[in-house]
Amino acid sequence: MKFNRRQGLKAAAATAAATGAIAAAAPREAMSQTRAETLRQVMGGVINSLDATMLGGTREGFGLVMNTYDRLCSMGRKPVSTGGFTFDLDNIRGELAERIDRSADGLTYTFHIRQNATWHDGTPVTAEDVKWSLDRSVSARSLAPPQMSMSSYTSPDQYKIVGEKVVEVKLPRSDRLALGNLSTPYAMMINSKLAKQHATSDDPWAINYLKENQAGGGAYIVESHRPGQQLQLRRNDNWKNGLNGELPFFRRIIMQTVPEAATRASLVERGDADLCIDLAASDVPAIESRNRAKVVAIPQGNTFQCIVFNTRVAPFDNPKVRRAFALALPYDAMFQAALFSRGSKYYGATWTHAPNGNFPQPLGINQDLDRAKALLAEAGFPNGLETTFTYAVSMSAFVDPMAALLQEALGRIGVRVAIQKLPDAQIGTLIVERRLPFFTDLGSAWLPSPDYFFRLYYSGETRWNYSGWQNAEVTAMAQEARFTLDQARYDDICRRMIDISLEQMPHVMLWSGNHEAVMSKDISGYTYWFHRMVDWRDLKRG
Amino acid sequence: MRALKSIGLRVGRRLAASVPALLGVVVFTFVLMRVLPGDPAVFFASGPNAGQAEIQMIREQMGLDRPVHEQLIRYFAEIGRGQLGRSMTTGQAVVADLRERLPASLELTLAALVLALGFAIPLGILAALRPNSALDHVVRFVCSMGVCVPTFVSGLLLIYVFYVVLGISPDPTGRIDIFAASPPDITGFLLIDFAITGDWAGWYAAAGQLLLPACTMALFVLAPLARMTRASMLAVLGSDFIRTARSIGLSHWKVIVVHGLRNALLPVITITGIVFSTMLGANVLVEKVFSWPGVGSYALDALLGSDYAPVQGFVLMMALAFVVVNLLIDVLYGIADPRVNVE
Repeated sequence: MKFNRRQGLKAAAATAAATGAIAAAAPREAMSQTRAETLRQVMGGVINSLDATMLGGTREGFGLVMNTYDRLCSMGRKPVSTGGFTFDLDNIRGELAERIDRSADGLTYTFHIRQNATWHDGTPVTAEDVKWSLDRSVSARSLAPPQMSMSSYTSPDQYKIVGEKVVEVKLPRSDRLALGNLSTPYAMMINSKLAKQHATSDDPWAINYLKENQAGGGAYIVESHRPGQQLQLRRNDNWKNGLNGELPFFRRIIMQTVPEAATRASLVERGDADLCIDLAASDVPAIESRNRAKVVAIPQGNTFQCIVFNTRVAPFDNPKVRRAFALALPYDAMFQAALFSRGSKYYGATWTHAPNGNFPQPLGINQDLDRAKALLAEAGFPNGLETTFTYAVSMSAFVDPMAALLQEALGRIGVRVAIQKLPDAQIGTLIVERRLPFFTDLGSAWLPSPDYFFRLYYSGETRWNYSGWQNAEVTAMAQEARFTLDQARYDDICRRMIDISLEQMPHVMLWSGNHEAVMSKDISGYTYWFHRMVDWRDLKRG
Repeated sequence: MRALKSIGLRVGRRLAASVPALLGVVVFTFVLMRVLPGDPAVFFASGPNAGQAEIQMIREQMGLDRPVHEQLIRYFAEIGRGQLGRSMTTGQAVVADLRERLPASLELTLAALVLALGFAIPLGILAALRPNSALDHVVRFVCSMGVCVPTFVSGLLLIYVFYVVLGISPDPTGRIDIFAASPPDITGFLLIDFAITGDWAGWYAAAGQLLLPACTMALFVLAPLARMTRASMLAVLGSDFIRTARSIGLSHWKVIVVHGLRNALLPVITITGIVFSTMLGANVLVEKVFSWPGVGSYALDALLGSDYAPVQGFVLMMALAFVVVNLLIDVLYGIADPRVNVE
């Protein structure tokens, strides 16, 4: 039994072959000419539908339809001091409409469609197309109708063709969000002639067709789609609906699913990918310090992280208990542990009555263990109580450290907290059924006016009213605010709603993390949008 | 001709015998998915403002508003039509998804298996030739390392060394360079497709993409294969017929490979079958790390979203794969050792 020379040589040859194969695997040179005009974005999620209104459509689809479809109007953008831009709900311009007339009473909007606007197939955009698209947004079995109803769009009767390329939209009451809502992904304009060819009696709004096909006129056209893997788009060179009629810079967009965050980070850092907006929060400071890629951090004023009390079960049906918990939390330590303080605080103000009607804003809540203890005793729990704090597995990266701090701080007022992590689908079900006593979740609003937050997150019966809180005064005021045209009255109402919510504390507003986009150094123009996805039309190289 | 017919009969009988097991798997997975907490309708109705009405609509769309036994009957009817339902996660028919992704997983698994066998068998033989020598200890150490390091760690490590630091490996995102033209879609196995079309540049690129994930997986399964080869070789090399072969003056090489290895292969083939089936399902971490569009990561995503249809389809497919692999292994037994009968 000898290990002879020949065997040794064979083993060596095998090793050499393997090494050679790695060397041969070096990437082929990318075509440098088009590479500069190509944007490669890597993301953790998937796009499961070309029509974002589909039931079950993923968030990544919002960014897609903003680029493949136009809307009647579009929100503007404003620069942010830290670099980049953010969306501007107060500055709305026409997109597919070249002019928008608003009647003096605010009940009628008239949209004049751009004369030279065409669909991807070259046919002109007509008033019938716009009417059909608007009808679809309030009638189809999709995610669009509940969103449209947030600004009083509920029936096809509200949309009327009043001339060639002119469509009139009627509102029952003057609604603050009427135009803003027509700028959201769900209000996309569809080539109705094409869509109707594929509509059936079971599916009059061509939902099945549009899921896998496009019938739009937006700035980009989907060239290939491998669901769950990648999507490639090319620029629509006939697109004229941009700001000042300008075409976007990038001719080609590649959107690729790369599930592992660490891989996404190294792709962008090595310059093989150009953009990523969903890296792990802990990776971003390191990338910033290595300075091989650019980090654009933009405050997300329309989102929040909150700690929720189920106001429909004991002990959290008692506002004193809720306030005691809120007063016991170590806000700064939690913010530092969860997000390295990269974001905006919604705590730490010193006022007791809101100074203005902005929401969310830093609220008058701070840690005060003595008062917390006193309140808990007043509520009938002098010896503390026991409860369970729950959060979704997908949030563990930042909630794990925060939960440990919360547990420790509540322990100091005699509250024993058990921590429970659950899969996302499971926690969703428990929230809807209101079976969790105490948990954390995220919220965001497409149309971040204070009344919208209060309507969505502080009243109603949907999942988004996480705490299940019902306060007749706030519910009534949120409805009134929505329709009021008097700014002073609106601010008064909002101030009052903030005060009540702070006193009753259905959930504790914590903070909003920055939107952190990591991109190649030569990319500029990055804009944070309300839908929290990338709009490629904004971006430039060089 | 008669031999072929008898093999066909045997194979048919084996397949028929597996039908009850497959049925059991379908029913079990079906029930299990519905018993697990988590409502897919809630998970997928997460658009802004989606309320109870939208949850109900999704439930109807997925057929979840019907009683469970009716859902099961409908599912069987669907299987009868060659369909497995629709995935909410990707928005595609499950059959189409699996057809697209199974070749990716198979190609990766097979490449990893070939790589692993290519190293494990020589290493196992070397270790068996000199038990308890330094060489044996080195082999044992390499195998232990491979098994101890989880695949996502070794995967990330390989990416870090060969992609991030050395820059000689292509970016670890899927089966083909993203900027290259899309591959010819013939069999779904890129290496075969590129070879058929004669696109050797494409073939090298695809092989380059395959190499790191295949190495990661091969490292992980090196241990069972090499250890099994070693143990089995040790037993065989100590037996009488080897001594006889040596005594009649056969060459060292011939004694080991022809007389030793062939007799030692049976347990190795068995373990290869098991390793292969496990790899096909368990390479999900490798698929995630390398963005490999395979079935493992597909099933995991579906499971996290309580997306019933893809999980059921995946389990059924894996059960089928297990049946086929076992059959194949039995046939290989016959080739390796004619004394073994498939029956």
